[in-house]
Amino acid sequence: MFYIYKTSCISPQSSYGSPALSELVASAGNKLMAQEPVYSGIPPGILRRMGKAVRIGIGAALPLIADKQETQGIIIGTANGGMEDCIKFLNQIIEYDEGKLTPTNFVQSTPNAIAGQLGLMQSNKGYNITHSNRGLSFENALMDVDMLLAENKNAKYLVGAVDEISAYNFRIEWLGGWYKSEDSSNLNLFENESDGSIAGEGAAMFLAGNEKQGSICRLTDIHFFQTDSAGVVKEALTKFLAKHLPSGKSPDLFMSGENGDRRMQKYYEACTGSLAANTPVLSFKQMCGEYPTASSFGAWAACEILRTQEIPMHMLRTSSSTSNTPISSIFIYNTYKGNQHSFMLLEK
Amino acid sequence: METAELKSQLKKQIVEFLNLTTIKPEDIKDDEPLFGEGLGLDSIDSIELIVLLGREYGIDIKDPKEGRKVLVDINTMVDYIEKNRTK
Repeated sequence: MFYIYKTSCISPQSSYGSPALSELVASAGNKLMAQEPVYSGIPPGILRRMGKAVRIGIGAALPLIADKQETQGIIIGTANGGMEDCIKFLNQIIEYDEGKLTPTNFVQSTPNAIAGQLGLMQSNKGYNITHSNRGLSFENALMDVDMLLAENKNAKYLVGAVDEISAYNFRIEWLGGWYKSEDSSNLNLFENESDGSIAGEGAAMFLAGNEKQGSICRLTDIHFFQTDSAGVVKEALTKFLAKHLPSGKSPDLFMSGENGDRRMQKYYEACTGSLAANTPVLSFKQMCGEYPTASSFGAWAACEILRTQEIPMHMLRTSSSTSNTPISSIFIYNTYKGNQHSFMLLEK
Repeated sequence: METAELKSQLKKQIVEFLNLTTIKPEDIKDDEPLFGEGLGLDSIDSIELIVLLGREYGIDIKDPKEGRKVLVDINTMVDYIEKNRTK
């Protein structure tokens, strides 16, 4: 696969700029809303038209592509893009009886508004694409970068993912039972054994290339698939780990995408059951909430742990101690709604 | 509606429609150019303003040349609204 040199993240936690993850920021109203920074790099005339997904996506990406010559392409994963603007646009069609409509909401609502706007702002005329594949949008973007880097050995690419909470989407997902019906908090997300999770949003960006020098870590492999069978997940994991690790050896850390939805537990338990019993298990959805590209936050958090060699205590799900030996490998498993699954292995 | 009141209402609507978060309605001068120098609006904003006139005042500007004469400053917009509004 490829190396990761720089990362940037706008999330509900203090993740932007100089991350401070030791204190867990609490959710409100079953939602974890992104903490938006001051967007000094975005001209005010452009910023005022942007919806939240576009703002956080561009805000997170700009620090990584300040050097315009360095990045040969921009690849973004998003399930919904600017959903809030999309709904505003659709509502206007009804409200104004299919009369004159303003272009801004429409332009900002398309999923490729983020990658497109980044390309325009940075005069980047390279490869520019957006992957929209629900809960595997980020993973598809990573796979795309991997194929691009196989063809262009010296290139570097910006890759990342964005999704926002929109009022409409929250309501639909809530009615579908994907968010908890009772008042819940991320501070005790895993204590409440009920259906659903809490909503989240965020943007995580990565600068990727083939050279080891200057890298934070390497994305050694990624595997994603669709199934509703925990047995299939377990079998796939066994094959995935056997491909990369000596027999009987587990990664240093297992980062689990569990989200407090009891219906998803069987998938995560299938994974923990396949790893060595003393493998420390971390979780990240209490930090970012559940959204289709939440695995990008997990990947960002894993990069932070590999970079700093520090694990925020609230991430630890098991009592297994993290020994004093350096953390050199993190395995991430995530499922979106129990039918889209992904494995990622990051190594120092 | 008095002209002064209409000007005040239009300034509020422009700030809201165009999401001019750093500008207060009362800071917009009546003779301040909307485009280029002054408020610094652009071509996408001109479409937003034409839609605003249609929605709020029932004015349908179809001729771009007419639009250029109307969307100069607050004075020209209010003058046009007073003469052509249907609601």
